[in-house]
Amino acid sequence: MKTTGTRSLILWILGLGFLLGLGVFLYGLATQGGNWALQPFNKHITGESRSTGEGRVLDRNGVVLAESKNGGRAYGGDELTRRAMLHTVGDTSGYISTGVQYNFRSQLSGYNFITGLTSPTGKTNGSDIRLTLDSGLCRLARERLGSRDGAAAVYNYKTGELLCMVSTPDYDPTNPPKDLNTDKTGKYSGVYLNKVLSSTFTPGSTFKVVTAAAAIENIPDLDSRTWNCNGSVTINGNKITDMYAYGTLSFKNALAKSSNVAFSQIAIEVGADKMTAMAEKLGFNRSFSLDGIPTAKSVYKVKGSQSNELGWSGVGQYTDLANPFQMLVAMGAVANGGTPVMPYMIQSITTPAGARLALGLPVKTGSSVAGDQMLGADTAARLANYLRYNVTHEYGDSLFPGLEVCAKTGTAQVTGKGDNCWMVGFSSREDTPLAFVVIVENSHTGSIASAGRIASALMTAAAKIK
Amino acid sequence: MNIPEELLSIFLFAVRIAVPLIALVVAARSFSSLRRGKRREEPVMVLEDMSTHEVIPVLYWENSIGRSRSCDIVLRDQTASRAHAVLMRRESGWLISDTNSKAGTFVNGKKAGQKTPVLPGDVIAMGSTSLMLKRTADVGGLPPVKPRRGRSASPAGLLWTVSFLQLLLCVQVCFASGKLDIVPFIPFGLLFFTEWIFYFISIKMLGHVSFELETLGFLLSGIGVMQIAGADVKSTYTQIAAMAAGIVLFLFLLWFVGDLDRAMKWRVAVGALAILLFAANLLLAKERNGARNWIVLGPVTVQPSEFIKIAFILVGASTLDRLQTYKNLTGFIGFSAVCMGALFLMKDFGTACIFFVMFLIIAFMRSGSLRTISLSCSVAVLGAFLILKFKPYVAERFAAWGHVWQHVNDSGGYQQVRVLSYSASGGLFGLGIGRGSLKTVFAGTSDLAFGMLCEEQGIVLAVIILMILFALALYSRSDATRSRSTLYSISACTAAGTLLFQTCLHVFGVTDVLPLTGVTLPFISLGGSSMVSVWGMLALIKASDERTYAARRRRRR
Repeated sequence: MKTTGTRSLILWILGLGFLLGLGVFLYGLATQGGNWALQPFNKHITGESRSTGEGRVLDRNGVVLAESKNGGRAYGGDELTRRAMLHTVGDTSGYISTGVQYNFRSQLSGYNFITGLTSPTGKTNGSDIRLTLDSGLCRLARERLGSRDGAAAVYNYKTGELLCMVSTPDYDPTNPPKDLNTDKTGKYSGVYLNKVLSSTFTPGSTFKVVTAAAAIENIPDLDSRTWNCNGSVTINGNKITDMYAYGTLSFKNALAKSSNVAFSQIAIEVGADKMTAMAEKLGFNRSFSLDGIPTAKSVYKVKGSQSNELGWSGVGQYTDLANPFQMLVAMGAVANGGTPVMPYMIQSITTPAGARLALGLPVKTGSSVAGDQMLGADTAARLANYLRYNVTHEYGDSLFPGLEVCAKTGTAQVTGKGDNCWMVGFSSREDTPLAFVVIVENSHTGSIASAGRIASALMTAAAKIK
Repeated sequence: MNIPEELLSIFLFAVRIAVPLIALVVAARSFSSLRRGKRREEPVMVLEDMSTHEVIPVLYWENSIGRSRSCDIVLRDQTASRAHAVLMRRESGWLISDTNSKAGTFVNGKKAGQKTPVLPGDVIAMGSTSLMLKRTADVGGLPPVKPRRGRSASPAGLLWTVSFLQLLLCVQVCFASGKLDIVPFIPFGLLFFTEWIFYFISIKMLGHVSFELETLGFLLSGIGVMQIAGADVKSTYTQIAAMAAGIVLFLFLLWFVGDLDRAMKWRVAVGALAILLFAANLLLAKERNGARNWIVLGPVTVQPSEFIKIAFILVGASTLDRLQTYKNLTGFIGFSAVCMGALFLMKDFGTACIFFVMFLIIAFMRSGSLRTISLSCSVAVLGAFLILKFKPYVAERFAAWGHVWQHVNDSGGYQQVRVLSYSASGGLFGLGIGRGSLKTVFAGTSDLAFGMLCEEQGIVLAVIILMILFALALYSRSDATRSRSTLYSISACTAAGTLLFQTCLHVFGVTDVLPLTGVTLPFISLGGSSMVSVWGMLALIKASDERTYAARRRRRR
């Protein structure tokens, strides 16, 4: 019997295997449980189950943008609103990785290790998320973009509230096209991309804002200087051209006319190091985050480049790339005396009444957070004046009646396609502290006719938002 | 009934916290009672060396005697064989069997063969050693026998607690839809009566003194039945009927192995029956879900391999005198090979794994031969290679192992990701029986029962259930030297080991710790044959408890 007893120790091998396996499972559950639970096929999240369902996503006015209803995720508003809000809110399957529904899925579903997706009261634990965005304003932006690809964003540069963020192409999340994920022709290419956050474009003349800031800080007699703009200048054997021969231009007129001849020479005069320093202060070569969602990096790289390349870089060509969100923050900095208030879009996350015994109290509230200083106050003020002059003397103040808008347009050539038309700017009035960025891709009209008109409509409407 | 929804939810949540706590108390009380009921290693009898007057304690019910140091009673005598004889206690008294020794064994001068009775005062001669069997009380100098500590848990009290727990589960099912539904009280009532009728038969009519293992069986079966009720009340009727049939098998097996001579005599017949069952299975079965392990007998479908598991253990286990006489495993290996072959033909690879582990435990406990074990394992590895090569659907699951999240919608990981996702959804205390979503996935109540358990009743209860099955294996192991025969020790360890291994295959298969699926979770999964079989396993564990057959002796006197 003694031997049998000793040999029965073989069960311990099995037992240890059991404990090891159980440990692996429980460790996974403790560390990955949230990710495991928060899957698009989980019926407790989509609301197909009786007792659970995700919280709602609301706009600043309480308009329901997404909710769990009748065993699925329902998106609010008319088709244009749903399309306009698609990239901000996100889709049901989690393909739009910058969407609120993906990034805040644990808050929306209310998952925690103790009670999983349920709560003692049986009500969904999922929090409601209220955004700072105005779905009406987004709808307007979406309407004005029409069938064109592009992006638009507006924010309050005093409070940081993001009011509008729209990206095209898109689709209606309530009736997604059947071939959305099976199509091989590329007709839906970019539908899952929020271009405001995740794309970069050649900035073209909007980059002259950066070159101008560098000039203000590095060329002492800037306002008394003039540039001879005869249509082109040859640098290092390479011809940099303008649309027209403008003749002799002062600095502010060179910016208003957007003379490549003048600005390429200014960039070369400032030099690669100081150009790079200014670009980086204004947000190039780094990533920002919108409520924890990272943005694409804008790119300014002139290290080791030839002088003609440095010249082109100063007018937003060469290898320059700009992310719309970064341009928006830069505009916010110029408008706000050199230091931007960082945009945010989560106004509040509120647990439903009863859950966690907190009776509908907000657990998180968005607030104004200042970013790093980008420009000195003097530089910002002078730059704002030049940008104001652009509007009054070149673009026409009637685009933004009564808003005292400062702005810069840009038309970037893209090989093999129409131009990328930009407009960036802000209202300098105390009572309408709004900054904007608009980009229209593959455009064959000028930037005022494309991006400018959208910006005009957005700013006029945004000024009325309280 | 118009109860405010929130109040009802809070009440049900409290119930879900109470259930694992009560289960833990029942399990802890049962196992501590099993521990307390265990005999301590005190001499049952003594042998006195006639020349040196040295007193040798006889500690076990079966004692090997010989020159080898591994014997229970070691003879320092060069003329004795290494494994000389076995001294054992049976109902009729003490017996000695000579196990093919060179010099022979003599009782009071007469040559002893198999099972020669030895009475106190008789002298056993082996080689040049003579030993007299004496009662412990007749010899001085031994430490006094200490009385057993404490009292065992009241069997009725424990069963009442289990019934109360089942009532709590039943209440959850009743309110699963948010409104009161009284239909789930039918399975609760059936469970209640089955359990208490069995209790009275066991304690009052058969005079059993212990009821801990049965209580644990009811605890687990009840949790399984109520979980099934949350998905489909009708299925519980077959499940409860299977439990009742399992209890009948339980009582039959306790009776059958109660007489060791009978158990040994019938081994060949049981083996032949097992092979016949396999043959019938192969001839009659139609393929279902990739495997041919079912036969339809009128209104019921039966999985013969579940019953063959019991037969397999009965064929494999053996008493010590026989183990010491016939040391080689050839017959058993041959029988195992036939069983494994049949399972391969049925394409039931999960069960083949279980049979293989049963084989390993039995083979090792019988022979202690690491060579046999390593040889068998090499053959198994070869077999596994062949399966992967020729059975693509098994290979598919292997390929997805460890990265099931890339196989969310193909058969490689479909079940696993859903089990993980819904398990996590339940949190520590679950969403409530009947409120889960995993039950809508194919084979949710059987192959994915562990996931349902986590989702609906919470991780805490799921872990307690797993720990009960783990503790059963530890208990069987610790009881291995206290049982009345190595036959009981081997069958109990194999049965408990098999239950634990099957639990591993099930739990780790569905949670992607191991690349397997399609095995049921003992006691919990929906499946009649499996339910009957686990109660049979429980009987084999119970048989190794020394107290199981004590009452009967007392009654007969």
